[in-house]
Amino acid sequence: MRVNRRGVLGFGMGGLALRGLMGGLGPALALSGGAARAQTAVALQLSWLHSVQFAGSYLAQARGYWREEGLEVSLQPGGPNAPVEPPVVSGQALVGISAADYTAAAVAQGAPFRILAVAMQKNPFAIASLPANPVRTPADLPGKRIGMALANMPVLKALCALNGIDAAGIEVVPTQYDAAPLLAGQVDCLLCWATDLPVAMAVRGIEAVTMLMADHGYALHSQTYIATDEAIASRRAELVGLLRGEARGWQACRADPDAALALTLESHPDAGLEAAVQALQLDRQLPLMVSDLTEAHGFGWFTDETVAANIRTLALLGREVSPDLWDRSLLEEAHG
Amino acid sequence: MAEAPPEVTCQGLARTYGAGPDAVEAVRPLTLTFAAGQTTALVGPSGCGKSTLLRMIAGLEEPSAGSVGIGGQPPLAVRRRGGLSVAFQEAALLPWRTVEGNVALALRLARRPADPAAVAGLIRLVGLEGFERRRPAELSGGMRQRAAIARCLVTAPGLLLLDEPFGSVDELTRLRLNLDLPRLWQERGTTTILVTHSVSEAVLLSDRVLVLSPRPAAVVADIPVRLPRPRRAAMVRETRFLDLVDEIAAGLSEGGAAADRPLAAQ
Amino acid sequence: MSGRLLVGLLLLLLWEMAARTLAGTHLLAGPVDVAGWLFQHRGLVGRALAVTAGEAALGLLLGTLAAVLLAALAVLAPRRVAAVISLLMLFLFCLPLVATGPLLRVLWGPGLGPQVTLAALAVTFTSYLALLVGLRAAPPVWLDLVRSYGRGRLSELWHVRARGALPYVMAGLQIAAPAAFLGALVGEFTGAERGLGLLVIRALRELDAPATWGLATVAAGVTVAAHAAIAAVGRRLQAEPPLILAAAPGRLEGPLPVLAALALGLFLWAGAMEAAGLSPFFAKRPWDVWAFLFTDPEAMAHRAELALALAQTLRVAVPGYLAGLLAGAGLAALVILAPRAEAAVLPVAVALRAIPIVTTAPLLVLALGRGPAGTVTIVAVMIFFPTLVACLQGMRQTPRAVLDLFESHAAGRGARLLHAQLPAMLPAFFASARMAVPAAILAATTAEWLATGTGLGALMAVTASTSAYGMLWSATLVIALAACLAWGALGLLERAVLSRTAAEQLA
Repeated sequence: MRVNRRGVLGFGMGGLALRGLMGGLGPALALSGGAARAQTAVALQLSWLHSVQFAGSYLAQARGYWREEGLEVSLQPGGPNAPVEPPVVSGQALVGISAADYTAAAVAQGAPFRILAVAMQKNPFAIASLPANPVRTPADLPGKRIGMALANMPVLKALCALNGIDAAGIEVVPTQYDAAPLLAGQVDCLLCWATDLPVAMAVRGIEAVTMLMADHGYALHSQTYIATDEAIASRRAELVGLLRGEARGWQACRADPDAALALTLESHPDAGLEAAVQALQLDRQLPLMVSDLTEAHGFGWFTDETVAANIRTLALLGREVSPDLWDRSLLEEAHG
Repeated sequence: MAEAPPEVTCQGLARTYGAGPDAVEAVRPLTLTFAAGQTTALVGPSGCGKSTLLRMIAGLEEPSAGSVGIGGQPPLAVRRRGGLSVAFQEAALLPWRTVEGNVALALRLARRPADPAAVAGLIRLVGLEGFERRRPAELSGGMRQRAAIARCLVTAPGLLLLDEPFGSVDELTRLRLNLDLPRLWQERGTTTILVTHSVSEAVLLSDRVLVLSPRPAAVVADIPVRLPRPRRAAMVRETRFLDLVDEIAAGLSEGGAAADRPLAAQ
Repeated sequence: MSGRLLVGLLLLLLWEMAARTLAGTHLLAGPVDVAGWLFQHRGLVGRALAVTAGEAALGLLLGTLAAVLLAALAVLAPRRVAAVISLLMLFLFCLPLVATGPLLRVLWGPGLGPQVTLAALAVTFTSYLALLVGLRAAPPVWLDLVRSYGRGRLSELWHVRARGALPYVMAGLQIAAPAAFLGALVGEFTGAERGLGLLVIRALRELDAPATWGLATVAAGVTVAAHAAIAAVGRRLQAEPPLILAAAPGRLEGPLPVLAALALGLFLWAGAMEAAGLSPFFAKRPWDVWAFLFTDPEAMAHRAELALALAQTLRVAVPGYLAGLLAGAGLAALVILAPRAEAAVLPVAVALRAIPIVTTAPLLVLALGRGPAGTVTIVAVMIFFPTLVACLQGMRQTPRAVLDLFESHAAGRGARLLHAQLPAMLPAFFASARMAVPAAILAATTAEWLATGTGLGALMAVTASTSAYGMLWSATLVIALAACLAWGALGLLERAVLSRTAAEQLA
């Protein structure tokens, strides 16, 4: 599978040229149809390095869920300095994995995005602290030193606003995304994802107190699937196929997390994944992906109510968006 | 493919640096003829412009006025076919090439086919046998000059321009080189122009000595040297040699006083 | 040799002791743990190293090739044209990795493109500069020799200048090899499938100290090995590195080359974007940046945000830069005064310089606090090693006769240092001071991005993730222009000082 993908994409410029060719030939082949359905090559831009964060996608790929949809999906990894929205705008990737706030920011800059599905029903943002000096509720925050990137100030302010807390009482220490300052005692708590830094600490034997912001009113869709208006208009079938495969992949992941973990580790031998970290991360991530809505309607679901809650949170973050940013019709087709 | 030695003519050749009131006149307009097959020495005080004159003859420097003819041709055409060689003050050997490589380079630059036999022969003639594979840094000053002369001669040029080629070696070595090397080109009858500030070297090597005034260069004396060839070490103690040296020295000191008087010499 | 071995063992011991003291913080792992981790993961690290070293080598090759072509062009062309080429190259070199990375990923798509390009960009300018100086360093008499056979500039270039430039090329490569490796490493942060860079990110995030330090050790080893290998090749080719890599800047050619470079740069920028048909969403054109900074209704706020971040960055970059230069020159003086110190100073300096900044930055910030001290130190560490080496070489170049003169008066070491060796060091000092400007900016922005979360480094990282490409492009331009200005100002200062102390250095 990996070899195959590399063969399709090639390297660098050669890859670009080749992909141009593939883009031209793909749909034509797909139209010819027949018993042996030709595969259309599409790319899914991930939001981070390969890890169990995308275990469902690996299952969809390995078990042929996308092949059944006539799609040859390549998964493009992200990274700390990797662009996610631009490849989707430029058409390099059909779908990108973003988050409601990043998507809203991109739309404000003129990118024609819609959110098609929401993998993380609960936003994974959390405040992690050590048991000796814990932050269990937002009310514990005043008087604490919180380590976070200054860029995340709006997030902290939104949380305070949602819980009626004076943000001025919290000392913000600019740090990069790293648990070290907490362990070194330079800060009392960290703004981070519940599924990464606390997991790393737990594996090293430090059980952190994790306060999930979503439990305190911070409603913001995360790990959202985005596509451009143009793709929605002209490549609808591929989008629906991609979503359907993805939904089946995550379904399979929930049914058998151990298999998903094993597949993740085995298919990314060069990623340096540590089994213990990945196992715990998957364990903490899966509950965030499940809600009453997904139980009732299936993977990735959202409603007018959750959208409205997101719009309120986004407003606190300084982003004005309309419900048009979300488009559930493709997901409905995928589940239908 | 040795060339017939050419006659070299300078017509109103002059060089001025800069312009306007700051202009410095390096060479007064000169009209000179260097006979074919003769060796002519240009002597003068340092900084008098004799090197500039030589470089103009080689075409390495553009004259401000006048022209140079080498066998009736402009210098560039002669240079293009490898018809002249210049020996520079420092040996100007490329430090990364061996002796052999430096000599062979002249053939490449002159667009001649490689000729290992000629290269080896010349290295032997200049007395560097056994040092073919050495690099310049491993040679003494005198050996470097020998290699440079071999490089000059390997293209068998009709005209040889020597710009104080032995200026940077000690007196004894210089005498050895003065006696050893000139035979190599004088036997072929190569037209040779030598710039030097050593009066005895000028006498020892040449058929004619032109004494130049301090800057701007003008010819203050034109002295024929009628000593038999080949020249020998013992000659430097002979009366006629010493007389010539005296005559030239007199020209030099007189030239210092006469510097402001233009004096055309033919 | 045994002295060096002893120092090495002592360092290892100190390292292990420091690690044991800090045990429990998951920050520092000692050599024992590091060796264990490396052995256990030798397959993984070996594959990743092969990928990253391959990217760096390819980048080094392509970057050097580009440098060769451009330097040959600059030597053959009139001086003013050469000045335009140099200015554009300087500007490209001053572009911060954190901003160019994501853009290159968009341009190249998946694969090795950005890694190789960043590696190439990191080396092209230093190699170009070295080549240019080397190609121009041929003594006039060699050129006369070529001309005396009626041959032109191409023959000059081929027979004389090219080979004469070789020592300079080797010196340039010694600087370029670690830079290429860092470029490849950072390039992998933009969404690579494999490589050492990915392992570094993971190790840092997962508090895996043995992995972090194991990877740092591997990277440092590669850097030192590349340095030594290039030096060995240089000796084989009889091309010992020359004293001064970057000669003093040429005479001012007037404002024309600057204006021409500006115009050409803007044209190439806009032209490339339009030709590639890149979406203005992320590929901003010159007029977009102009609008963002000057005509947009929010322009004033944009400028204010940018100015604030720039001020934050300069507050750490400038003191770090000065501290690095002082430390480099000071240590060089120390080594000259007390030659025995060399055995202790140089290995530490090499090790400090060789460990990639992406792994040291977080640790230094942690050790020195979140304040500016940490970032200032990172910048200083990046700068001080090349300065030390250059200054040492410079002082050792003091003419023998001058030293004999001091000896004949039985002058003390201090007097000799002050009156003979320090002035002899100045050309080399200034050359490395100029090269250190882009290095300081790179270090400051990388540290801000990876460790402190402030200043332009953080601003650029954040704007890239929130699609604020107008700000990203503006910040990139501002920082690169600031670096170019600092370079130019240093050049003026250099000419002024050297015209008194080393007039022969000025062409």
